[in-house]
Amino acid sequence: MRDAPDAEVVARVLGGDIEAFGIVLRRYEPELLRYAQRMLGDPDAAGDAVAEGLVRAYRHLASCRDPNRLRPWLYRIVANRCKTHLGRRRADVIPLDEAPPVADAADSEAEVELAERLARAESALARLAPDRREAFVLRHVQGLSYEEMAAVTGATVTTLRMRVHRAREALAAALKEDA
Amino acid sequence: MSTLDPRIHQALEGEIPRETLPPDLQRAVEELERATAALRSGPLPASVADRVMTEIRRPAPTLAARLGSWMATPRALTVHIRPLWTLAAALLAGLVLLTAREPAPVLSAEEGIADFVGRFPGARTVEVAGSFNDWRPGSLALRDEDHDGVWRGSLVLPTGQHQYMFLVDGERWVTDPLAGRYVDDGYGRQNALLIVRRTGHR
Repeated sequence: MRDAPDAEVVARVLGGDIEAFGIVLRRYEPELLRYAQRMLGDPDAAGDAVAEGLVRAYRHLASCRDPNRLRPWLYRIVANRCKTHLGRRRADVIPLDEAPPVADAADSEAEVELAERLARAESALARLAPDRREAFVLRHVQGLSYEEMAAVTGATVTTLRMRVHRAREALAAALKEDA
Repeated sequence: MSTLDPRIHQALEGEIPRETLPPDLQRAVEELERATAALRSGPLPASVADRVMTEIRRPAPTLAARLGSWMATPRALTVHIRPLWTLAAALLAGLVLLTAREPAPVLSAEEGIADFVGRFPGARTVEVAGSFNDWRPGSLALRDEDHDGVWRGSLVLPTGQHQYMFLVDGERWVTDPLAGRYVDDGYGRQNALLIVRRTGHR
């Protein structure tokens, strides 16, 4: 069951096997948490958004028209929860003091460099407009195809390509500014 | 106008090999790829699996429980309506009041009725989320009593301006095409704007 395709797992859950939903969690929770963290910039808010999204996904699982495309369907639900959280917070830019701390001085040089690079990247990402941040994260951090992104966001592939382009330009400029 | 050489975009999309680029463009590609790799790494938020499984094992709240929770929660909403839509909303409100089984709400001088109407044939649920309910789905559900695909609901709101969207089947956000006024929501979509005007005592 652990390696069963998504469609089979969904059928089991809809058949009344609640515990089979745990397979969905093991498969997709980490990447959904990563996505929400990059969108919201706050691990607690990211956890809340993903938890709310996954509970909603369970309750509306029968409305997933194509269980073979469960992944973009889950992303869509979590993306909507992230939008709700952002709307409540009324902050399009994540404050820099919410960014994670840079590595401790006792860490190796490579770890320090990685931590600094992550801090700069997060700072640059936080300054993107939400739609461009979403497009960049889905494409380059989460690795979705443009067709999957269209299913998640409801935008056309052309629009998404433009958002990713603009996001790259803004990120490149922000990284240059922070260097 | 693009500030990055188009070949950088092509390399990042995997359409051309990075090695074919001049050194300065290769460095730009590498800078972005290093940033992306960093964003893919780093500690994840704590797992929510236990929390989710605990919640789904609990029986879902009944409609009565959800309605009770909604009615017990204080709400504030401001709505802008054009004169034409004010007339349409007043006529619709009149129709709703004439055909409503329950008694009309008692309004203060600083409140009005906002009527929400949307055409979603085939939808299973239609909700309204907006600035008046913290954009929380599940707190204002519309009804399609005639099963004709037209969903309706009303809300007593303080006078002023509000933003909202429809949420169809719990997953699809739709801008109200009849709203007449909109604001950009920062996600490439538009929120509808409503205006609630004073209606006086009833």
